[in-house]
Amino acid sequence: MKIFQIALGILAAIGGFVDIGDLVFNVAAGAAFGYQLLWVVVVGVVGIIVYSEMCGRVAAVSEKAVFDAVRERVGFGAGLTTLIAAQVVNLMTLAAEVGGVAICLRLLSGLPYRWLILAAIVALGLIVWVVSFDWIERIFGYGGLCLLVFAVAAVKLHPDWGDVAHGFVPHVDTSDTLLYCYFAVGLLGAAMTPYEVYFYSSGAIEEGWGPKDLGINRANALIGYGLGGFLSFALMITGGALFLGQEIEPELLGSIAMGAQVPLGQVGLVLALIGILFAVGGASIDTLFSGAYNLAQFMGWEWGRYRSNAGAPRFTLTWLVLLVLALGIVMTGIDPVMLTEYAVIFSVVALPLTYLPILLVANDKAYMGRYANGRLANVLGATYFVIILAVSLSAIPLMILTNVGQS
Amino acid sequence: MRTLSSLLGRKIVTESGSDLGRCHDVRAELGASRLRVTGLVLGRRGHLEHFGIGAQASASSARVRDSDLIQWKDIVRFEADRIVVSDSAEEA
Amino acid sequence: MSEELDLGLAVLDHQLLDCDGRRCGNVDDLAIEGGPGEHAEVAAILSGPNVWRGRAGFLGRIAARIGGDGRVRTPWSEVAEVEAHVTLKKRAPDYGLGRLDDRLRPWIERIPGAGR
Repeated sequence: MKIFQIALGILAAIGGFVDIGDLVFNVAAGAAFGYQLLWVVVVGVVGIIVYSEMCGRVAAVSEKAVFDAVRERVGFGAGLTTLIAAQVVNLMTLAAEVGGVAICLRLLSGLPYRWLILAAIVALGLIVWVVSFDWIERIFGYGGLCLLVFAVAAVKLHPDWGDVAHGFVPHVDTSDTLLYCYFAVGLLGAAMTPYEVYFYSSGAIEEGWGPKDLGINRANALIGYGLGGFLSFALMITGGALFLGQEIEPELLGSIAMGAQVPLGQVGLVLALIGILFAVGGASIDTLFSGAYNLAQFMGWEWGRYRSNAGAPRFTLTWLVLLVLALGIVMTGIDPVMLTEYAVIFSVVALPLTYLPILLVANDKAYMGRYANGRLANVLGATYFVIILAVSLSAIPLMILTNVGQS
Repeated sequence: MRTLSSLLGRKIVTESGSDLGRCHDVRAELGASRLRVTGLVLGRRGHLEHFGIGAQASASSARVRDSDLIQWKDIVRFEADRIVVSDSAEEA
Repeated sequence: MSEELDLGLAVLDHQLLDCDGRRCGNVDDLAIEGGPGEHAEVAAILSGPNVWRGRAGFLGRIAARIGGDGRVRTPWSEVAEVEAHVTLKKRAPDYGLGRLDDRLRPWIERIPGAGR
């Protein structure tokens, strides 16, 4: 029975792995460079496994979620700066996800976009207000599994598997190295989205994880994110097989869904749209909660998805305000796909700010006792810190130099 | 009355002027319902050490740092931006 | 039965819990009484936006301005234990902690489904 439960949890994690950033960057990278950037996805997936395992372990052993740890570790001042940066990025991401939901609804229903933004916000708000969190996780997680249609599509498109395999070996085979680097940065950012770890570590606290749950933590991180990475491969392969060398740029979510329609017809299209709707919808809820978690944890307020709405008043108010702010942002008519690219790039820039305190806490025997990072965790943790730092520093220059991936 | 935050990060010098480093933390003894302040924890590298780079936790307890300690009784006076301690504290 | 601990590491910026396990703020600062060389002890836990003023320079002052004038002084004798979090002996309202949550709750409870 326990195995069954774990399997279900993992399924939900896989379905929840992909969000609008992954959709946009993986398919666009495929369209621009074929399969050449597959290896970057691997780097990103390993990165999120390392990061979330550490966050989960810190939460289980020291009973501190990310922003508890950030504040204690770097103090109030630096912590506040980190909080502000994290919240700005989080809000951008939330708006992008909500925009993605609205576009999906438009593709499915044909109703006008602006109304659907409002409908999406109201629906998300109602769901979070009323539905228990376990059910939210199940519904959106399993719904997101419809994205497996892209795995089927990828195979049915008969890509050159030799080329695909070659994509897993780091190489650059293009004259447009700047654009290549921009996509590499975006792919890493999309794989290692910060809200995932805020959400994950808060969940670990709420589940009351202790040192005995470290095995589950590792399994969740490894299997949940690892398998989720396969969906990213499928997206890139589909994008590469269909759009490389064509003039079509998968800028609209519709084009991305077309990736499933071309090989699989109407069924493929509908499954793809449903999968995208649930994956992005689930991601919006995760991002929404993450914003509320971060603020509440930093301030010491009561918080929790398992608390009733009135049980954690300021936490509830925070997510309500965030929803309204996101509504405002998306209503300006900004292109959600462009907003997504900005959100991913900016989250990469801010990534070191929350990664480093966690790495330090995970290493600190005062907090972690004998569960502090061993040698492997430290080698990986430090390597990824260097990667994250390099990517963070180059993100904005690359974005400017490639005109947000247009060049 | 002074606050903990006003002590953290302050430079520590001896009466004769040698620079001992910065106040990295404040050591205390937790009793039944009292928290008695016993000393100042020294840190040499300032910010790096505050982030824990290079610092080791003490083997005996998970809640103290493994760094040099200045006894509270060796503090001579508090100045605007630094803490002056007696010369004998340097040998401890 | 006494134990040594470092205040910045084990107490400052830690979550405050009341006797029911309710989160009611953070240890924003500690008040230390006792002069140089004399007997010194931690007199109280300080929390609230007004306390941030002294913590973070420029940003702290802005945050304090947004947060308002609140400042709560909880005598150290009210601390039950210091573990991962700092737990107090009585309930949050007895100390004036968590007031904003208490004030906000009736408003949220008016909305149907608030108990979910």
